Amino acid sequence: MAMFSQNPLLNGPNYSFSEAPKFNAPEGAREHRFDPYTDNGGSTLAIAGADFTIMAGDTRLTSGYSINSRFHPKVFKIGGTTSDQKDATLVLSVVGFAADGEALKERLDAICKMYRYRHGKPMSVKACAQRLSTILYQKRFFPYYAYAILGGLDEEGKGAVYSYDPVGSYEREQCRAGGAAASLIMPFLDNQVNFKNQFIPGSGEGHALQERERRPLSRQEVETLVKDAFDGAVERHIEVGDGLQMMIITKEGIEEVVLPLKKD
Amino acid sequence: MTSIGTGYDLSNSIFSPDGRNFQVEYAMKAVENGGTSIGIRCKDGVVLAVEKIITSKLLKPGANKRIATVDRHLGVVSSGMLPDGRHFVDRARDEARSWRDNFKTPITTADLASRMGNYLQAHTLYQSVRPFGITAIVGGFDAQEESPVDGEVGNGPSCGAGGKNPDKKYGGPFLYMIEPSGLYWGYYGAATGKGRQAAKAELEKLDLTGEGITLEEAVKEAARIIYVAHDDSKDKEFELEMSWISGKDGPTKGLHQEVPKALREEAERLAKKSLDDSDDEEEEKKDGDKMEE
Amino acid sequence: MDHRPQAWGRPRDDVYGAYDGSYLNNSGPRTVTQSPVVTGTSVIAIKFKDGIVMAADNLASYGSLARFTDVKRLRTFLGTTVIGFGGDVSDMQFLDRHLEELAVDESYEAEPTIDEDDQEAKKASQLNAGNIYRYLQKLMYQRRNSFDPLWNHILVAGFDSASKPLLGSVDLRGTSFTSPSLATGFGAALAQPIMRKYAATEEDAAKLTREQAVGVIKECMKVLFYRDARSLDRYSIAIVTKDGIELKEDEQLEKQSWAFAERIKGYGTQTV
Repeated sequence: MAMFSQNPLLNGPNYSFSEAPKFNAPEGAREHRFDPYTDNGGSTLAIAGADFTIMAGDTRLTSGYSINSRFHPKVFKIGGTTSDQKDATLVLSVVGFAADGEALKERLDAICKMYRYRHGKPMSVKACAQRLSTILYQKRFFPYYAYAILGGLDEEGKGAVYSYDPVGSYEREQCRAGGAAASLIMPFLDNQVNFKNQFIPGSGEGHALQERERRPLSRQEVETLVKDAFDGAVERHIEVGDGLQMMIITKEGIEEVVLPLKKD
Repeated sequence: MTSIGTGYDLSNSIFSPDGRNFQVEYAMKAVENGGTSIGIRCKDGVVLAVEKIITSKLLKPGANKRIATVDRHLGVVSSGMLPDGRHFVDRARDEARSWRDNFKTPITTADLASRMGNYLQAHTLYQSVRPFGITAIVGGFDAQEESPVDGEVGNGPSCGAGGKNPDKKYGGPFLYMIEPSGLYWGYYGAATGKGRQAAKAELEKLDLTGEGITLEEAVKEAARIIYVAHDDSKDKEFELEMSWISGKDGPTKGLHQEVPKALREEAERLAKKSLDDSDDEEEEKKDGDKMEE
Repeated sequence: MDHRPQAWGRPRDDVYGAYDGSYLNNSGPRTVTQSPVVTGTSVIAIKFKDGIVMAADNLASYGSLARFTDVKRLRTFLGTTVIGFGGDVSDMQFLDRHLEELAVDESYEAEPTIDEDDQEAKKASQLNAGNIYRYLQKLMYQRRNSFDPLWNHILVAGFDSASKPLLGSVDLRGTSFTSPSLATGFGAALAQPIMRKYAATEEDAAKLTREQAVGVIKECMKVLFYRDARSLDRYSIAIVTKDGIELKEDEQLEKQSWAFAERIKGYGTQTV
């Protein structure tokens, strides 16, 4: 009998704490699990012109059916040498989970600042766009839940818009809408910016119809488009509203405009 | 010193045949060369003061503080080797913090003195370390009223177990002086450094043990004592640095703070005046002697 | 007989079974807060022309049990900032201790470079509400990133570096935002609409007097007590202005009415 043996038990518990049996009871399914993400709503929009880019976003911050704040900007100047970003050349918009968006913005800003201090010149949109993709992909398995759009002027001075998915795949585009009302705004933009489904009247029948030729839009036209797009989105989406923040990037610098939107 | 250089002074943790630890005694010599520090415990607070010798004209006036805050209600001043003083403060802050972590309440002055006494004493025991070249004066005001525990949720019992006894007196001002040997006592008035003899003589003249003096009087006395203890012939310039601690209803609201500029300047003015007056008295005395001749 | 020292004084294995030391080696997953345990309900706050008023009741609930009724959920920092905690009470205590540590660190700094009597300069060198707001946001976001969240929704009130009133909110995921009025938990649904009637915009808030703001907050606390089952009619209220903080921790809700609402449509007998 084990009790009377001089030797420790071979199988079964013994007197040393280190030999205590391991407890491996199956963990029952947790009643409550922490969800690290929420969707804070809102929408963003970017359009590249011939020599300017307009980045825009609404200023509402929601969670569920409540409005947390009526003024919480989603569009940020990036990579200025000072905290007020007055000499910045790039603009980033983020929408989705606000805390991730903010963290992403702050990281990209720090990187752009470091680049500028080291090289004595601001980062190009192209370089910054690639870097942003890398940052996003680095968190591929715990992503920043944020739809980012980066805007600026390219090396030739043309408007540039780069759009991203949360894990870093990106492309340069003429225009892009992001966030809650993206599906409402994007078709409008396809039609109004890229003239999709617009044909030259009387140019033919069926497939012979000629597409309307694309032409660069003026700044005035684009500003009107942005306002119309958001007025439309506010009407049809509950998470969009309160204020419209616009950043207009030209070679003279970045102009910021805040306009009212419906608060209902 | 009788048995100097007999080999017993080469290491810590070695006694001489007549029962002395020379390394500790040498450390006290280091203290005796430092600027004078004093502490006064009065009825409603504690004052710390130090004579800061100006070693270079290139040092910024008012910078390079010598009195440090260890916890909100605790201050430390020391004479001797400045870096040792800094380390003393670092260690004291760690002790105060870990006390808070463990007991969810601020450390009392007595407990801090005890911890630091042990720490200094440990530095007399090992060959690998040398004793501290400082004597530190620790002043504090322990809370007299029920102070909220860190992270406290409710009110808890107001008296008895877990609360304070209404008839008992709690907290108050405390003053300790810790020497390189690790020896520490609680004091009404403490002085160390170059001018300690003169300073002690002056402190003994104050009524600290009986009725006590007020905090504001103590600030003025402290300034005067530092001026009296200062030796004009040896050191040219010095700066006076002073801090004070009162209870919750006093001027510092239970915190260790620097004495406000206005009050310090007033105290310095009075200190200088009293020095001039006593000089005049001596002059007169001399003149009188001459006349008698 | 087993004479090994380990066996001395131990119950016999053959009679009582082997000692079950399984609790010593928990090889299960690392455990973190997965849900709050003892909780506080709403915290509400509104800006007015010279500062901010914040309130929270004194209850800590254990599920539906009103467990502690004298809990102080409004905390002050350096006498200039008020922090209100909703959510888990133990996490609140952790944060409170952490902030206390920060405050002690602040007291070490003797600002040797500034005139010690220049109160403005002294204030500028100390952590202000803006700093605390950002600090807490970073802390909460870091904890959510490590899947070990502090289960709180926090309001911060005070003044920023530009000496402007600041009212900010941080939640357990690190989401942070500011607004002229803020409310956590149930308050977001019940109190926020009332507060927004008086301070819809920053401009509106800047017109409110202190008395008006306190009145609005008291009204909101009453509505919350009427409708939130996890609330209490004893509450704490803090008023932050440039002159400091007035914190009252044992207030009683006034002018409650539990009479039958016979004249309100839907409660009484009236049909029209």
